[in-house]
Amino acid sequence: MTTDSQPLSIGLFGLFRSLLSRELSVAIRSPGQWLNPILFFIIVITLFPLGVGPGPNTLSIIAPGIIWVSALLSVMLSLQSLFYDDLHNGSLEQFVLSAQPLSVVVLAKVFAWWLLGGLPLLLVSPLLAILMHLPDSAIPVLMLSLLLGTLTLILVGAIGAALTATVGNGGGILMSLLVLPLTVPVLIFGSGAVQAAAMQMPVGGHLSLLVALLALALSLAPLATAAALRVAVSAG
Amino acid sequence: MTPKRKQRLLLVAAMLVGVSVAVIFLLKAFNSNIMLFQSPSDIIAGKVKEGSRFRIGGMVVEGSVERGDTGLTTQFQLTDTANKVPVIYEGILPDLFSEGQGIVAMGSLDSSGLFVATEVLAKHDENYMPPEVADALKKAGKMPGTAANYGGSTVVNP
Amino acid sequence: MFKWIHLFGSSPFVYRAASWLAPVFGFGAAVCILVGLYLGLVVAPADYEQGDSYRIIFVHVPSAWMSMFVYMVMATSSAVFLIWRMKLADIVAWASAPIGASFTLIALVSGAFWGKPMWGTYWIWDARLTSELLLLFIYLGYMALRSSIEQPQTAARAAAILAVVGVVNIPIIHFSVEWWNTLHQPATISKLDKPSMHISMLRPLLLMVAGFQLLYFHQLMVRVKTGILQREGRTAWVAELVANNRV
Repeated sequence: MTTDSQPLSIGLFGLFRSLLSRELSVAIRSPGQWLNPILFFIIVITLFPLGVGPGPNTLSIIAPGIIWVSALLSVMLSLQSLFYDDLHNGSLEQFVLSAQPLSVVVLAKVFAWWLLGGLPLLLVSPLLAILMHLPDSAIPVLMLSLLLGTLTLILVGAIGAALTATVGNGGGILMSLLVLPLTVPVLIFGSGAVQAAAMQMPVGGHLSLLVALLALALSLAPLATAAALRVAVSAG
Repeated sequence: MTPKRKQRLLLVAAMLVGVSVAVIFLLKAFNSNIMLFQSPSDIIAGKVKEGSRFRIGGMVVEGSVERGDTGLTTQFQLTDTANKVPVIYEGILPDLFSEGQGIVAMGSLDSSGLFVATEVLAKHDENYMPPEVADALKKAGKMPGTAANYGGSTVVNP
Repeated sequence: MFKWIHLFGSSPFVYRAASWLAPVFGFGAAVCILVGLYLGLVVAPADYEQGDSYRIIFVHVPSAWMSMFVYMVMATSSAVFLIWRMKLADIVAWASAPIGASFTLIALVSGAFWGKPMWGTYWIWDARLTSELLLLFIYLGYMALRSSIEQPQTAARAAAILAVVGVVNIPIIHFSVEWWNTLHQPATISKLDKPSMHISMLRPLLLMVAGFQLLYFHQLMVRVKTGILQREGRTAWVAELVANNRV
């Protein structure tokens, strides 16, 4: 079995690490990929005080919802190109054909994407919370909910990105159409946690539901994404 | 065991761990109230801040409904059989609103502990029967509860 | 033992079976729904609490129930298609999607018309109503995905994966009234030995449920026939059907 064990010698964690560093080094060379979503996030949020009116009371009431919806949209927009390059330059086909489990490949890609498209949202969120007059006490909960939520969103969104990878024009909007209904629980409990924190009510229930959703997405979503990628590759 | 099998086993195990973590946290979440509405006991226990908007659910206490002389103002008490909260509402009530009926109201607490409702919705139960049967059951004292779950416990209104 | 299962791989056989079953189911559905409506709207007494408004239940509950049942059929046959590549399973899933979406829409609309007089509002964002609305979106997403991938095989497999993923919503809909304090009442017929409904009202409700079920099977047969014709339009047996004017 030497020929069979040869490609496995790096192990699952080695595979994960090498894929992660590949993704990150590719992304660093095209800053638009990770800069645009974060700019989108900031700009969408600044539209609300201008559109709704700048009253601090109004803003602080709607702030949790707005920050969360903007994060959701920004993640969805950036995810559209998650598998685009890999599909078109042939590396996806190599991943599918290789002896390595495809779901681990997906997990590595998703995690890299989160570092580039999810983590920045998390880091600028305190600033936006202040702009939106969200009470200071709610900021840690906001960050924690975004940490748990954006990971789940990217895991679920990857399924949609893989399903629509072969759809040319209009694939992006189709992907949002498929994925947004599935992300509603994350939105409800994410913004619910921030709202509860702003009202100084207990947030434990919301946060543990977010953890549950993340655990469920972590264990099941990569399988669905991998299956969808196999379909996409066999079509190409 | 071949490396390939070992790897697959590892992945399946990781998946099972993930699903069980999800189940544990789901159960944990259901123990802490994430609910459409709060019960009067929650409010008495001080779980809600004065002035914040939320929903309250409970049964209208028999004999507590007072309609204002002018306009559409109604005042009544809500109970979950343990505690009572006074509610005031100005507007048109749904057809089902009556004493002993389960309702859900949206609004906020004022400083005196009065719940000022901006919307009152009636909650009806899953029991359906003709009026004669309902009368007969009431006489026999076997009427099923009129409002279902409040705060995790089933409330049966005899 | 499972030799007969190969029959379902044969399109002419399935087509003939569906042609035979469609009118049977259609007739059964018509009888059940007509008798159910008569018993429900004319014979059954008014409710002690809700008066005549409760009669919406005879449409609302069967369609809500079917919205979930059809999804389960769709998801199961999608899984069968993904695992065993059974062509018929894909046709069943394809055929079920618009039917299920219609039942979901009927459940939502009839629920809104029931909610206004009883609860006092057409719509409330509680767990039951929201998850049922999401079900409609998932049905629509399934159809959108199918229609936007040009290659039929790819479209079928991608849509099947989506249908399987969307199953997570079904337990949420079903248990939402027990897990959360919702405005929506719990299920009436959760326990068959002791339903929370008087027999004079239960009888038409069960008839309507059976009628909607048969209606779904009727529609499914009709659409399965269409699906087979679409996929097999160039084969000899279809040509023969057309020549004999039997399509």
